[in-house]
Amino acid sequence: MKDGWLQRLRDELAQAWTVTVKDMKVYYLKPGMIMFGFMMPFFMFFSFSVKREMAAAQGTARLLALTTFFTAAAAGPFIIPTERRLGTYDRLMAAPMSLLTLLLGKTAVGALFAIGTSAFALLVGVVAFGASIAQPGLLIAGIFLSAFSFSALGLIFGSIPTHNPGDVQMPSTLLRWGLLFISGVFVPLAEMGAVARALAYLSPLTYAQDLMNHAVLGRGAMTAPLLNPWLDIGVLLVSGVLFLLPSIKMHQRSRKLGY
Amino acid sequence: MNNAIKVQNLTKYYGDFLAVDHINFEVRQGEVFGFLGPNGAGKTTTQRMLTTLLEPTEGSIVIHGHDLARDAYPVKRRMGLVPEESNVYTELTAWDNLMFTAKLYRVPRSERAAQARELLETFGLWEKRNVKAQDFSKGMRRRLSIAMAIIHQPALLFLDEPTPGLDAQSARAIRDLIRQLNAEGTTIFLTTHQIEEANQLCDRVAIINHGQIAAIDTPERLKQAFQRVQSVEVALEPDGQAHGEPLSALAGVTTAVKMGDKWRLYTQDPSALLPQVMDYARSHELRVVSLSTLGPSLEDVFLEITGQQVGTVRHEAERSKPRRRGMGGRR
Repeated sequence: MKDGWLQRLRDELAQAWTVTVKDMKVYYLKPGMIMFGFMMPFFMFFSFSVKREMAAAQGTARLLALTTFFTAAAAGPFIIPTERRLGTYDRLMAAPMSLLTLLLGKTAVGALFAIGTSAFALLVGVVAFGASIAQPGLLIAGIFLSAFSFSALGLIFGSIPTHNPGDVQMPSTLLRWGLLFISGVFVPLAEMGAVARALAYLSPLTYAQDLMNHAVLGRGAMTAPLLNPWLDIGVLLVSGVLFLLPSIKMHQRSRKLGY
Repeated sequence: MNNAIKVQNLTKYYGDFLAVDHINFEVRQGEVFGFLGPNGAGKTTTQRMLTTLLEPTEGSIVIHGHDLARDAYPVKRRMGLVPEESNVYTELTAWDNLMFTAKLYRVPRSERAAQARELLETFGLWEKRNVKAQDFSKGMRRRLSIAMAIIHQPALLFLDEPTPGLDAQSARAIRDLIRQLNAEGTTIFLTTHQIEEANQLCDRVAIINHGQIAAIDTPERLKQAFQRVQSVEVALEPDGQAHGEPLSALAGVTTAVKMGDKWRLYTQDPSALLPQVMDYARSHELRVVSLSTLGPSLEDVFLEITGQQVGTVRHEAERSKPRRRGMGGRR
């Protein structure tokens, strides 16, 4: 076995990908993932959008924000407690890879699920509703960054020391619903009061929605984006990295508690 | 002989509860080391600390010369773990389970398929390689779980209760495999409460009780240290089962335990007890179907050390005597 940090880095990346592929095979078709990850964003979109006047592009941008957010954040809270309960998480924790590698592998599981679901949502928006995409490159960047950030957010809940997925679903769902209503998804930022808008700026979903607006609607649209897209990109990137930190801390705590 | 594992002052608190209490032991390279203890004694907690799954409160663990707290990576590469529950991925086939583990442990691509095939053939799972583990029996999952733990050819293998719940054939196959792995140079750390299994497999055993190491030695030396736990086993006819009370009243008998159609009479002096048993049989016109003296088994040692009593049968007059041990018998 070759030594050196480069070999170690290659090993760790390969291990992260191995974890991701395994989880995709094991969990993507589980009812919990399909319900909370795939169907929920569409269900919510149609619940809050039917019979409201909305341009196809605006609806598509909203649907994309919803799918990246809900789908990516659903994976961690479902997969990790399930694996803890079944004992398979021990297999991963005992394997020769760093905790960060494991968490990156798990983040990719949710992110790729969200990217796939968003691709489906985009297809629905473009084919079924005739939406056009103003900036495709920005859209791809937005979907990827949002998926990464929200998957890392979901991982925080997955990292709560418990063997029961039910213990995690409740706080995870509460937070996701809370963020949904303060982040300019259903009420555009421009229409919010000062306090609500200040609150919205604390939510990463706000930046994801704004970025989707940039990418799908472009400038000069009815529900125009308010923020600089580079700010959106920066916030999503940084928040994704920052969201990994509490997960690391909670895993370290789990090792002390015996989960 | 070099140590594979060296544990010093290892301690684990769960809140205020002291699960493992400043234990010290060494496991030599190439040995099968049994870690015995009753439920809740601290066996699994210790094993989880040794396999990096649980952080110790105090103490140090050095495995193959690496301090686990500071340098776990090289240890993990050479370590295999078979937990109590067969933690295979039931949604994956046997083949995919092995491939996943091989990739996780960075087994070279050129060796993965050959290793997996060899293991599946060894474990009698080759024909089932494309079957999902959810359709496997408990024994098959166990074998797959062990195959996953050794696909990277670890130098140190941790096995937590490898055979309970398995049929006799599967349990024997796993014990044979443990012997084979050990013969090939793998150090085995066997956590079990199956005393006879430890007796058959282990070069040395440690007995942990209430979080502390109560004894540590070879099975035979431990038995020698407990020569006072000897017994005479007798089967009488007719109606041999009705004689427990008078037999336990014979001089020198500390406990009488019903063992199927026999009575086992624990004593410190079997030679003094034998003539008494014969006299009793003669005076009651009983036929002695079998009569034998037994040294202490590892189970006797274990129960003596851990102070466990799993049901005893004793004569009324004997109740004031200190109760040593016993199991199984009821009247």
